[in-house]
Amino acid sequence: MSAARSSMRQPTKPGIHWRPILVTLFNHSILILFTVIIVYPVLWMILASFKTPGELISNIWGLPADPAYQNYAVAWEKARLGRALLNSGIISIGAVLVVVCLASIAGYAFAKFSFRFSTVILLVMVFTMQAPVPIIPFYVLFVRLKLTDSYLGLILAIASGTIPLAIFIFQAYFRSIPGELREAAKIDGCSELAAFLRVVMPISGPAVATVSILTFVGAWNEYFMPLLLIRSDELRPLTLTIQVFFLQFGRAEWNVIFATLSIATIPMIVVYVFLQRWFIRGLTSGSIKG
Amino acid sequence: MPAAQKPGNRPSGALSRRLSKLSPYLWILPAITVYGIFKLYPLVSGLQMSLLRWDGIEAPRYIGLRNFEKILSDPMTGAVLMNNVHYAVGTVVGKIVLSLFLAILLHQALKGRTFYRTSLFLPVVMSFVVVGVLWSWLFNPQFGLINSFLRGLGLDFLVQDWLGDAAVALNSLILVDIWKWYGFHMVIFLAGLQSIPDELYEAARIDGASVWQQFLHVTLPMLQPVMIVNVTISVMGAFNVFDIPFIMTAGGPANATNVMALHIYIRGFKFYRFGFSAALSYVLLVIVTLVALIQLKLMTSGDNTD
Repeated sequence: MSAARSSMRQPTKPGIHWRPILVTLFNHSILILFTVIIVYPVLWMILASFKTPGELISNIWGLPADPAYQNYAVAWEKARLGRALLNSGIISIGAVLVVVCLASIAGYAFAKFSFRFSTVILLVMVFTMQAPVPIIPFYVLFVRLKLTDSYLGLILAIASGTIPLAIFIFQAYFRSIPGELREAAKIDGCSELAAFLRVVMPISGPAVATVSILTFVGAWNEYFMPLLLIRSDELRPLTLTIQVFFLQFGRAEWNVIFATLSIATIPMIVVYVFLQRWFIRGLTSGSIKG
Repeated sequence: MPAAQKPGNRPSGALSRRLSKLSPYLWILPAITVYGIFKLYPLVSGLQMSLLRWDGIEAPRYIGLRNFEKILSDPMTGAVLMNNVHYAVGTVVGKIVLSLFLAILLHQALKGRTFYRTSLFLPVVMSFVVVGVLWSWLFNPQFGLINSFLRGLGLDFLVQDWLGDAAVALNSLILVDIWKWYGFHMVIFLAGLQSIPDELYEAARIDGASVWQQFLHVTLPMLQPVMIVNVTISVMGAFNVFDIPFIMTAGGPANATNVMALHIYIRGFKFYRFGFSAALSYVLLVIVTLVALIQLKLMTSGDNTD
């Protein structure tokens, strides 16, 4: 299927090998087509955020004639995006902290200690992690624990969904760390916990990064949990804010909506482009095992 | 031999021995507690709620299996489930075919691989809310990008009311879902392709296999593990889908895009039928479990016959 292979199958033609060139051309044109299908709507969204309502209708494909920067000011004010960004930040960082702390310790125990029921516990997690949670008992639980409408409740709700996957990622990573390291630390007088914290964790950057990205992106983009658990305007994260704003003003002021969407998306895209290798690895790590 | 040193809890005294016996459980306790309370407990406690007639305010009344009877006799249940099945078939076929095709193209020695990979993966880091709102406008019948594009090409017969026409709306949502995820599945296929040893292709070529035969007899069988992963993820996604229909169509028009997760949410939080909604959740849970088991069986049994 590669260029080299194709040329081998036509050894009789003299001169330039046209076929590999055509194959490469074909590959590139298909890939470019699908890249454009992905990237263009996102670019278009950013361009549209600088248009006036009239331009959105009269000038669908072109660049904005006179960039309407005020869309951003209006969006920021009306949708209270500052507050929403802060909320999303608190919730996402909170979820990362909870997941990394709890799952790393647990993952280490599953990787390095042998104890009864460890396999059973892991199996229960494998079989239940994908299951859709019945939302009524879930919601009632949060009401009874007085965890609705709070950062902590939302963080725990999001973290509990990611913990199993994070445990598996940490467990796989810790398995790959040679046991001598831990033994050496213990001979030096470290307790098991100290060995973990001072020797193992400092060399576990890759696993921590993978789990952090996975959790952060998931929490930042989470929509259903805040929809279920958050009531007051002040605690709404970005996703819920956008949706509420869309319902209120969407039909009338699409240009402002696009400014809102751009504010929500551009920071994530910038970070993603710089750290793309880490993002792609982190977000697919649940699916690819070696 | 190496197994002997692996779980080494080397005891250095009675106290530490007892501690080390207890300690693994202490290490896993925080994570298991959070998971147990917020994930496992609702899975179990809802069973009792599914036997109630309850609006969340007044005292619940025990009505036995009446909720389940109602679910089974309600024509809405079947219609909603068929939407999930339709959604699953559409998204799975679309995502798998497209992402496998692109992964094979990208697997060649091409310039700009990182660029393509990064661009195609982009929607994965975007929120479904952003994607849903953006596509609501792209699908706008008068001013949306899609219809404007089709008119520009002179393909006026393809112009649709993408989200307003009950015959089309679900397919439009499927397109958005495919758009958001095909880069993700492509990356997974790419990892699978990279793990296939070159010698297999060389051997096939020496046997005179064509490019297509190589694909059928080397690539596809070797990709089976990642194929299972990709199909499982997309099927599960299709049966749990909520964000896209909730944001883009709210289940309409005329329930054409109403799916189980949305149905459960609306019964629970719009009509305050908590018991009925809880019962519906278990119907979905059973169906998802069955689908997962059947799928696992089908995909692993294919392996044995080879």
